[in-house]
Amino acid sequence: MAKKIDLQAIVSEHYAALYRFGLALAKNESEAGDLTQETFFILTKHQEQIRDPERIRPWLFTTLRREFLRKVRTHAAHPEVEFQPAEHEIPAIESSALRTIDGKTALAALETVEESYRSALELFYIGDLSYKEISATLGVPIGTVMSRLSRGKEQLRRALATALEGDPHKIIPLPESRSPEA
Amino acid sequence: MTREQAKERLSALRARGADDADPTLQEALELARKDSELGSWLAQQREFDNILVEKFASISPPEGLKDIILETLEGTARPIQSWRMGWFALAATIVLAALLLGQKVDLFRGSFQKFRNFRSDALAMVSVKPAPILDLETPSLGTTQAFIAAHDAPRLQQFPQKLQAMDTAGCRVFLWRQHPASLTCFHLPSGKFLHAVVIRADAVGNPDLPSGPYSENGWHVMFQKKAGLLVMWASQAPMEELKQFIET
Repeated sequence: MAKKIDLQAIVSEHYAALYRFGLALAKNESEAGDLTQETFFILTKHQEQIRDPERIRPWLFTTLRREFLRKVRTHAAHPEVEFQPAEHEIPAIESSALRTIDGKTALAALETVEESYRSALELFYIGDLSYKEISATLGVPIGTVMSRLSRGKEQLRRALATALEGDPHKIIPLPESRSPEA
Repeated sequence: MTREQAKERLSALRARGADDADPTLQEALELARKDSELGSWLAQQREFDNILVEKFASISPPEGLKDIILETLEGTARPIQSWRMGWFALAATIVLAALLLGQKVDLFRGSFQKFRNFRSDALAMVSVKPAPILDLETPSLGTTQAFIAAHDAPRLQQFPQKLQAMDTAGCRVFLWRQHPASLTCFHLPSGKFLHAVVIRADAVGNPDLPSGPYSENGWHVMFQKKAGLLVMWASQAPMEELKQFIET
């Protein structure tokens, strides 16, 4: 008989990181909450499959990501942002400047990273998964994970540098004569 | 191993030294100890990673999420202690568990919750300063509706008469929990916006709607159902002005 897992302890330990991961994927707080709930709900149905408690964290992140992808699969008509690779030098960011940003600004910068790199970064920074666990979660070779983390970090650094400088294109500006408060 | 190859491997090192003993990374780490430029790069990379881990960890889940999850799981997670029970008791337990399971799923996916979430998300979307994000900026209502139709998003077939004469700021098409929806923004004479968010009513659980306009967090809001669609009107214009333009 499968060993009973302590759901309350698992929820307490992982729900916050899962929520952040959901937020990074869905970019919507209530959807992130739903994804987090559904992930734990799926865990209750499949808990007997998890024999090694140390595998729970990657399992939860894999499951949340799978649920997210299942939902967006029907969004084929949803326009995707085209990635424009930057050729210029990676800007230097002072640590003191980086410390001034808040979590949501960091998340917004992460959202600008190309999707294939972003997935690896989300699991790395938010999921705290090792490169081997990321490899298993994304179903790509370890070398690919390392390459994606490396390039993704370069893109993230550029995005953060832009955020620190201020990005005039972040919100579509309305014509000046028509810019009353919403 | 070249410096660039080492950098790629070292990019996989997690913050707080979690992978420092990983055999696959030892060669690159060793190189970083010998090569001062690589060592300096690694130190900067680690600091960058540590700060970002802290920043992401500072994002707090909504208050009460943990309790909601635990409440939802309660009753569905307990293994059935059935091995010593007779088949009748086992069957009864399974049926009961299935009922509880269904009830819990219904609860957290319930129509009321869906409607509340939609209202909250839509208000958050139109509250963006200085103006909501729009896919298309145009003063022409006809152009906005053609854009929305071209993206297969729901739209009102006919806006209230007085509103048809007003300029729009533009429109946006988006997905709310897999359901297409649209936003059309109008300029009102007071200089404020009037937002019309349209989604299929069944996408938000076909709820019973609050009757008439009401105020919420500085917004005047009204919901209507029209031809299977739910329309959320929202504005920070004075209520009297709002009533002139929408049919209450």
